[in-house]
Formats: sequence, structure tokens, C-alpha cells
Amino acid sequence: MDHLDAEAHTRGRSRYVDDEPRPAGLLQAAVVPSPVAHGEIRSLDLTAVRDYAGVVAVLTAEDIPGSNQIGSVLPDEPLLSTGEVHYIGQPIALVVAEDFHAARHAVARARLDIDERPVVVDPKEAFERGHLIADPQSVHMGDVDAAWAQCDVVVEGEATISGQEHVYLETQRARALPEENGAIRVLSSTQSPYVGQRTIAGILGVPLHQIEVDVRRLGGGFGGKEDQATPWACFAALAAHHTGRPVEIVLSRAEDLLMTGKRHAYRSDYKIGVTRDGRILALDVRHFQNSGAACDLSLAVLGRTLFHTTNSYFIPNVRVWGAPCRTNIPPATAFRGFGGPQGMFAVESALTHAAEALGIDREELQRRNLLRSSDSFPYGQNAATVRIRRCWEELDEGFDLEATRQQVEEWNDRHPAVKKGYAVMPVTFGISFTATFLNQASALLHVYTDGSVSLSTGGVEMGQGLFSNLAVVASRALGIEPTRVRVESTNTRRIANMSASAASSTTLLNGNATLRAATPLRERLLTHAGERLGSDPSLLTIENEQLLCDGEPTGWDWPKLVKSAYLHRVSLSAHGFYATPEIHYDEARGRGHPFAYHVCGAALVEVTVDGLRGSYEIDRVRLVHDLGRPLNRRVDLGQVEGGLAQGLGWMTVEDLRYDETGRNLSAALATYKVPDVYLMPRDLEVRFIEEPDTEAGPYHAKAVGEPPLMYGLGVVFALRRALRAFGRDGQLPFVAPMTPEQVLLQLQGDDDPSRLVSKSLGTRVPVPAEAVSS
Amino acid sequence: MGQKIRVEVNGTSHDHEVEPRQLLVHYLRETLGLTGTNIGCETSLCGACTVLVDGRAVRSCTQLAVQADGSSITTIEGLGQNGRLHPLQEAFHEEHGLQCGFCTPGMIMASAGFLDDQPNPTEPEIREALKGNICRCTGYHNIVKAVRRAAEQMGGES
Repeated sequence: MDHLDAEAHTRGRSRYVDDEPRPAGLLQAAVVPSPVAHGEIRSLDLTAVRDYAGVVAVLTAEDIPGSNQIGSVLPDEPLLSTGEVHYIGQPIALVVAEDFHAARHAVARARLDIDERPVVVDPKEAFERGHLIADPQSVHMGDVDAAWAQCDVVVEGEATISGQEHVYLETQRARALPEENGAIRVLSSTQSPYVGQRTIAGILGVPLHQIEVDVRRLGGGFGGKEDQATPWACFAALAAHHTGRPVEIVLSRAEDLLMTGKRHAYRSDYKIGVTRDGRILALDVRHFQNSGAACDLSLAVLGRTLFHTTNSYFIPNVRVWGAPCRTNIPPATAFRGFGGPQGMFAVESALTHAAEALGIDREELQRRNLLRSSDSFPYGQNAATVRIRRCWEELDEGFDLEATRQQVEEWNDRHPAVKKGYAVMPVTFGISFTATFLNQASALLHVYTDGSVSLSTGGVEMGQGLFSNLAVVASRALGIEPTRVRVESTNTRRIANMSASAASSTTLLNGNATLRAATPLRERLLTHAGERLGSDPSLLTIENEQLLCDGEPTGWDWPKLVKSAYLHRVSLSAHGFYATPEIHYDEARGRGHPFAYHVCGAALVEVTVDGLRGSYEIDRVRLVHDLGRPLNRRVDLGQVEGGLAQGLGWMTVEDLRYDETGRNLSAALATYKVPDVYLMPRDLEVRFIEEPDTEAGPYHAKAVGEPPLMYGLGVVFALRRALRAFGRDGQLPFVAPMTPEQVLLQLQGDDDPSRLVSKSLGTRVPVPAEAVSS
Repeated sequence: MGQKIRVEVNGTSHDHEVEPRQLLVHYLRETLGLTGTNIGCETSLCGACTVLVDGRAVRSCTQLAVQADGSSITTIEGLGQNGRLHPLQEAFHEEHGLQCGFCTPGMIMASAGFLDDQPNPTEPEIREALKGNICRCTGYHNIVKAVRRAAEQMGGES
């Protein structure tokens, strides 16, 4: 089946928020951003802003009738500054004008006098100063301290990974439409309509039922429109509340890059111990998360980092600790992978360091320590659903890893100035929100008398093909054609209290809720048909729109069945509710069973590096991915390719940098490079393992949104192998992204490590210590 | 202080008085209501706003409406003829060269301008033609396939 939006997209008929016809009197809003990263506002003069032609209202924190608070996890983030500013771009005032030119020109006329305070952009520095969002978290298993003595080789060092800008092509936007009795309808480009609704209601001091949030589709989200979409919806609603007129806010790309939160950068200290025969006995990692100026979703992101710091490996003695460090950059937020890749980067770096110290192939050390289904994760869940060994074997044999190794070595023997490298990146990713209560969903299904079907769920379509999946689930459950099913916009009046479309769980949750609506409705129809036909309902089925009795035609089709049920007063509507069973997690103890199952896969990444320039090509990526039974194979393949592109981009060309004053040095698409058509390798091969080995997903489908992004991490280690082939021995830092500049610096053996790391982190990063034999 | 312009957009002639500073994309979206053309960056770096002006693919976010005076413009809404999809639209659909859809109109219009100049492109030529259009969702593979498929299709028709 096709992507449901395919034809509308190609005709330019798909509507995003500001494509909806403009209501009369629509106003446009813009915000006055903080020009400094930390300070106290001594004076704020908005006279010239108010006087600017076309300006209708200028609002500050004092104009918020409810609670000036948008933090969804911790109440540490005001919608509008109350006198302090903590990052460049933090909203200070809201300007509402007749058109967006007036709004933007007026914003520039704000006069601010700010008493500047010290700025911290480095997470370790923030930690040393005690600037934490919350207490550090940890998980552990075995006895790490006792294990070092049993290791033949122990190495330690630091892995440094930068943040990432989402660059959803549709910038943040919302439109608020006042309705009668103070109610407000908000069209929002958000992955989290309920959090938007709840936060707007809090800002305005009204019950949630006064606020309706409606989402038709997003022009990309990737996590960047989970909590980060909320303030813009609040601004539109606040302005509509004050002016009584419809108000729209659409960020320019420049505003979006400046003001919105990105993926978390991490600095992670690791220590790993291995035996001479290649068993990893102990891993100790301390993560310093750059959380930005407010909590946002940082604590949940950090939790997932801890869960995934052993990636696909069984390590008997593990201690993983992480601190959410408050810094003066925009609040870091969700981004596809949600902390998982940062955890994996730490263990892959540690493991690579250990392999180099042992003098064995990285792949050998990886392979020997892969999880078996009888193993357990440090957080207590067993690995029963982990298929990583199967994925590795399919990759090893299917793509002939040994042949790749030989080809690369032969090439490198013959070419002094251009070297090749390769790496395998295994991925084991847990599926579910780690906050157990979020794993719930509802669906509302109506069948109309002509047999057409309307389906509403809490899931948001952002290009990932969710609506296509939901149409497949509903139509399969009812035995009808998917084209009969219209998947409706995501709306808080039809579906209450929905969780964000995130955690790769949207199809799992909303697909199962759809099944729980469709299945009783079908049973009701069959019971009715049994009565009318004098048949045993248990013998009746609906297949290909035909009502069958014991497999034989009854002469009734779907429209006739529906019409008959209607005339006999049988309900043609159903509500379904789903809560993922058997998951739980005790954060205080760091133990539990947080995931419904795990998705696994392995990628083989190959690169060619030009030793004179530091430039490189990603030659080829071949991967094996554990898909379960796909609801829609091409949609899933699209997710794999797109996720891989984002991972490869993050690890190579997406160079997000802040200077020591907290200024984003990459706040334009001219300075922040996203993958173009040349970055993705032309040679890309994806093999799926399609087994019905999970009962969790609808029709044995597995989650596919986030896991493929992490295959991209492999490119860092492939580049490192190429650097080694140039004869770069000794110390090389583990840094991402490996921009061509970074590769060249490492190649040239630059002695000043401060030049070897992204300036985003502000301080020197020590290179890994030499291997220590114990 | 408006300036009069006459443009033909998707086969229909329009006379409007526009502000000299008005961008072509705002004229198309706001004055004509043609919202299929999206704005991604306002700096001509993403290609989402690509339209054809006298057959040439241009970024409508960095061209003024007054510069288009006297021109014939094609937007995504005018690419298909008589309600039928253009082979490029069909190919992006068939090859699943889209996800969120925001880059799709610009990607298709850039390809349309390119195929007009180069009806039988090689794959490297397709990549070169699309290097200025950003897609954040797909990883580009299916987009390249779609353009190749459309080229084959269109070559077959002429």
C-alpha cells in the first residue's frame, strides 16, 4: 500500500498549519529573543515596539493570566522571561501585529538592558559548578570495582559527541482561533497535542476542555516538535486570548535555529576492562549530558542513555552514571534515538579503545560479547526479545564481512594517499516510553452507513507513514479495503490525554488501540449478521469486503452488513484503549522491565579517506534490520533509509557549535550542513528479517522509527580504521562529528587536543590514555 | 506605493499591484493562495520553494514578485495537466520519494526544470541537479529513483 498522503504531497495539496485558508483578521506574532546567554534584565523598553505601525499587542510575562510555565517534566521553564535570561533566543516578549513584516520589524525595536552573568556551555564545567537539572541517575549490575583485577587490559578515556539540529523542513508554527465562551482552537505543528493543550490551559488558567489542539500533519518532527512545539502554540493562544482575533506564529528558519532546542551533546568518561581472549568483564561510564538551560525532556533522554550504554553487548559488571548538566544554550530536547545513540557512542568508543589495546579486530571484540537471549541488561530486563546474534550472523555471512576486510586491506596496501576503512555497528534498541504511564493510547472508530470508515487516534502523522499503517490495521481488522478508511487529524476533542508521537511507539500504541476499537465493532456486526441470517456468529467472517459463513459467501457484502446493522440500531462506533502490558520501571532502584521488546540490527559501513585533504566518501552501507512483520514494507524501508541518513549526517557533516558566550555559530543552513543527495552512499543494501516473533506490535509489526539512526554511528569507527591505515597510531580522540576538518586534524597528528574537538564544548578534551595492563 | 505586475501562473494571467519588496513566494502563497509552494529557509539553501519561471527552476524565496513581471510561472499546482499527474508526480508517488511532503513540491519542480534541459540524464547528473534541494526524511535514494523513472517515462512519451 502507498503512503496515504502520497498523491496530495506530489500535487502540493497537503496542508500544513499556515496553508489552511486564512480567517479574516488573522494576526501574526513574533517574539523578542534574549540577545545574551545569561543575565538579569535591568530594563525592558517596549515603547518603540508598541508604536510600530501595525502592532496590535505587545505581551510580557505579566500578561499571562495563568501560570507562566511550560516545563512538562519539571516546572523550570517560563514561557516568557520573568527577569532572568538563560540562553540566547529565550523569549522575553511577544509582539502581535497585522502582518508578519510588522511583527518582525517591531521585534527589532525592543530596548533591552541586561546585566550579563557568567555563561557556561560545557557540561563538565556546569557539573563542577553544581549546575544540575536534577540528581544524577545510575544503573549498575555486578561488581565493577572488583572486576578490574580480573581484566588483562583496562583502558579509559573520553568520548565526546555533539548535539544535532533537527532541521525539520517545516519550521515551528501554530495558529490559534478564538471560539465562543473563551474556548480556543489551536492548529499546531506538534508531536504532542495533549501536552500542548495542557500547557496552553495552564498558561491561560482555564480547564483543559476549553482548549482544542488539532494536528493534520507535520512537515517533519524527528523529536524537535515534541516539547519544543509547545511554546509556539502557547504564544498563538495567549495572543488570541488577549486580542480576541485569530493569531498565527510561524518561525523563520533563522528564528527556529536560534531559539529551539537541539539534540543533547554529551561528554562521557569511560573505563573498560577486557580479558586477553576478548571478553568484556567490566564497563564504567560517567555521562555528562549538556541539558541546556531547562529540563525539557532531558531526564528521560538521560534515562535512555543509561539503558543503551551497553548497546548490544553483555557485560557482567556495569556501572553507568549520568548527570543532567544545566548550561546556557537552548533547552536540549528529544531527537530520534532520544539519548540512546549517545550511550552507544560511549560503549563503542570504549570497546574500540580496548580492541586497539588488545591488538584484536574491533569486530572480533564486538562479536564475542553480543547479547544472548538468556542474558540480562543492567537495568534488570532480560534479553529474551534480543535478536542481535541473528542479525550479526546474517550480516557476517550475507555480506561477507571477511571479504570486505580483505578488500580493504588489499586496497590500503596499494594506496599510500587514499585509505579505506570499515566498521560494523550493531544496534539493540528498547521499544516503549520509559515512563510507563505514557504507554497508553486510544482510538475512535466510526463506520458510516455507506461503509466508509473514520478513524481517529492520538498518533501524529509527520511523514513516517503512521496513517498508512493505521489504515492497514483498521482495514485488516474489519476485512475491508484500506481505501475505505479515512484517518482523521489528531485532535484533543476526539482523543483525550494522548501521549506524544515518539519513542518509536506510535504504531505500537495507536495500532493496538485501533485493533481494540475495530475488533469489538466487527464482532458486533457479525453477531447482528448471525441473527439476521440465522447463522452461528462464530462461523462468520469478513474477508475482502464479503461476509462469509464457514468460508462460503453469504451474499452479503460490507455495505449491506453496515446498512443492516444501522437499520437494526446496532452501534457503528467504537472506542478502543490500549496499555502496553508487563512493563514497569523503578527509577530510584534503576531496575525493571521498561521495554515491550527490543529492535535489533547491524550495519556494515565503508569509507574512503583522502589523506591529503581529510575529505572522505561513505562508499557503501549494508545492513540487516529486524523488522518483524511489516504493515507496509516500503514505508518501513523509507524509515530505515531516512534514519540512516540522519545518523550519518550527525556523525559527519552536521557540525553544531556554540562559542563560549553561548552563541550558536551554526544558526543558518549556510553554516549548519545537513546531508544532501551526495552524502548518502549510492551503494546501500538493506536486508530485513521478517519474523512474527513479537506479540506486542499490531500483526507482529516492530517499531522502525528510531533504531536505524544509530547505524550511522558506524561511520566514525570506519573513519578511525582508515586513519589507523595511514599509520596514525597512538592516541586518537573519540569525537563526533568526524567532519573532514576533524579527520584532517587527526591525520596530521595535531598535538593540541583542543583543536581536535568541536568548539561546541568549549574546553579541552583529554585524548584516551595509553592502554594500561593490570 | 505598489507596483503593477502581470504574470501568467499555471496558465492563468494575473494583474496585481504588489509591494516592491514582496517576495515571489509570498505573492504565490498569499495573493494567489497557491500554498503548495513551501518556504523552508528563506535563504535559497533548501530548495523547498522552487518554481519554474519561464521554464527555469528558481527559488521563489529569493526572487521578488516584481522581477517576475511579464513571466510565465509554473507551480506544483500547475504541473499536472487536466487533472492528471505529471510523470514526475507519478514517479515520486510510485517510488515513495516522499515522507512528510514538505520538500516534495520543490523537489519535483527542480526536477521538472532539470529534465526540461536534460531529458536523458545519468544518475550523477540527477544528483548534481538535486544537490541544492534538501530532504530531511527520505535519505534521497527514492527521490533519485523517482527522477530517473520519470525521465524514462517522459522519454518514452516524446
